[in-house]
Amino acid sequence: MLEINRVEKSYGAFDLGPTDLTVNEEVLSVLGPSGCGKTTLLAVIAGITDPDTGTITLGGTELTGRTPEDRGTVLVFQDGALFPHMTARENVAYAAASTGKIDELAATLEIGDVLDQRAATLSGGERQRVALARSLAADPAALLLDEPLANLDAPIKRRLRDELRPLLSSLSIPVVYVTHDQHEATVIGDRLAVVRDGAIQQCATPSEVFARPATPFVASFTGRTNLFRARIAEGESDPALEWAGHQFDVPDYEYPVGEAVWFCIRPEYVTVVDASGAGGQNVLDGRVRRRVFEGDGYRIDVVPASADDVLQVTLSPPEYERLELDDRKRVRLSLPRDAIHIVGECDRTDAGCGSGVDEMESGSTE
Amino acid sequence: MAAETTESRTATPTLDWLTVALVLGGVLCLYYLAPLVSLFLSVPIGEIIGRMGDPTVVNAATTSLLSASISAAIATVFGLPLAYWLARSEARWTNAVLAVVVLPLVLPPTVSGIVLLTVFGPNAPIGAAAVAAGFPLTRSLAGVVLAQTFVASPFVVVTAKAAFESVDRTLEHASRSLGKNRWTTARRVTLPLAAPGILAGVTLAFARAMGEFGATMMVAYYPMTMPVKIWKSFQSVGLDGAYPVAIILVVIAVAALVVLNTVASNPWD
Repeated sequence: MLEINRVEKSYGAFDLGPTDLTVNEEVLSVLGPSGCGKTTLLAVIAGITDPDTGTITLGGTELTGRTPEDRGTVLVFQDGALFPHMTARENVAYAAASTGKIDELAATLEIGDVLDQRAATLSGGERQRVALARSLAADPAALLLDEPLANLDAPIKRRLRDELRPLLSSLSIPVVYVTHDQHEATVIGDRLAVVRDGAIQQCATPSEVFARPATPFVASFTGRTNLFRARIAEGESDPALEWAGHQFDVPDYEYPVGEAVWFCIRPEYVTVVDASGAGGQNVLDGRVRRRVFEGDGYRIDVVPASADDVLQVTLSPPEYERLELDDRKRVRLSLPRDAIHIVGECDRTDAGCGSGVDEMESGSTE
Repeated sequence: MAAETTESRTATPTLDWLTVALVLGGVLCLYYLAPLVSLFLSVPIGEIIGRMGDPTVVNAATTSLLSASISAAIATVFGLPLAYWLARSEARWTNAVLAVVVLPLVLPPTVSGIVLLTVFGPNAPIGAAAVAAGFPLTRSLAGVVLAQTFVASPFVVVTAKAAFESVDRTLEHASRSLGKNRWTTARRVTLPLAAPGILAGVTLAFARAMGEFGATMMVAYYPMTMPVKIWKSFQSVGLDGAYPVAIILVVIAVAALVVLNTVASNPWD
């Protein structure tokens, strides 16, 4: 188990932490925008830089103060950091205890054909496969990956991403996988830690993070979402959410009536229902403003009848064709009760809404 | 309107700055080459070959090659660690250390010789002790090496520092993360990658040591090196006496330059 306790690190105006994280024998994806401190976190764990305060333990052994080579952590870098004056085989052998290990890893990572090529001549995907083989050859007690797929072309990235998930899970060691790509973080991680400005805003399973983001930033950074300001109103039986001139039935939340809150609903949960509204929950009318084909589906921007906000809806191609939508066409939408998540009060500045609450604009985000 | 614009563009003479640069640089190259060609043309080849058999010239060439090799080796042994430290240290005073390293480069060579005499001269404590131990540091090969090392070693430090800096630190981090200590990392990752730059620095130091005159003349006129021999021939016989020895030194220097150009390109780029 890798434990990070109250770790802080300052670089000029940038502050990381205080950070607390526990990584069991699992893959923890650390997701955040560029410059949020996720790479610094890895550098601190790997011993490349020392934390200002806090401790790091691995398997109960204190790592703080130890040299990088004496930690049992292996760091995989964004570009692979292969030694250019060596062949792929020599790179793997650099860390391997035996030649048998090299052959085994070459088979696992499908790099047998390129083993005798000089590292500098390898393609991006091959480089990362060799870098992974080299890191695994060192028999790490914890594996740290710093955006290993960031520089790859989309098809190679997709393939490696799908291969990485079972490979990393099979290691049965703490794995910290840093990325700024929410899709990658979700596919690869058993859990997801979302970082912003050096602070972890939420750490939970990907499905929990997606369904119940802890802050407006988490909601907006973990995929496309509809994020709006609303108000808790007195409902017929329970408190309801008042937005766009409608009252919405929402899951139970302990917010006082009158409280201004952020709420979100993912576009894929918003459905277009027929004019009767039958079968739909929390129905509201709107008008299509824009339709965007996105390859695997359509994104429809809808302006509710009594609001300036834009609500995004994603539709599969068959559904889009069935609905025969045009710009400015009136549609009736349903916002399912259980898909609505109240993120937090609008005036909160703690971890609930995050420091970015002032920067958040009500609306749809990607 | 569009046609007019096109016409006016083609009609306006444009200055090709690359050509200007080539012309200006060409003048400088001519300035370098013309005296060398003139030197070679001024002496019959037979006379040069004849002087190559002159024992005093052979001795001077031997002294120069030996002392320059030793100086380059000393500069490498002591200069590489310093260069590595300068390249990797984040200490604030690295600039002060670098200034000290560069000092011999900016000092006039004769001043360097005088400075060295204040430490290694027969009247200075260290120099006197060395004489007493039967190992004089002036008027000896050791003196030549001291003078050459003083003026030539900065080339190793400065060039190797740049070579170390050109090695991506991520590679060193990767190596250490794979369980290799700092020494193994330096030996197997940093040094091989910085080798072309380091070799360039060593070659430059060797060439500088071969040509060293001012400091060497002050510290150790004897045993004579090639530059001192040229000076002595010039003084005793005149230019005609100095030319053949100078040509031999030029040949050695050009050979060093060829080595430099061969090793200076980084094959990993």
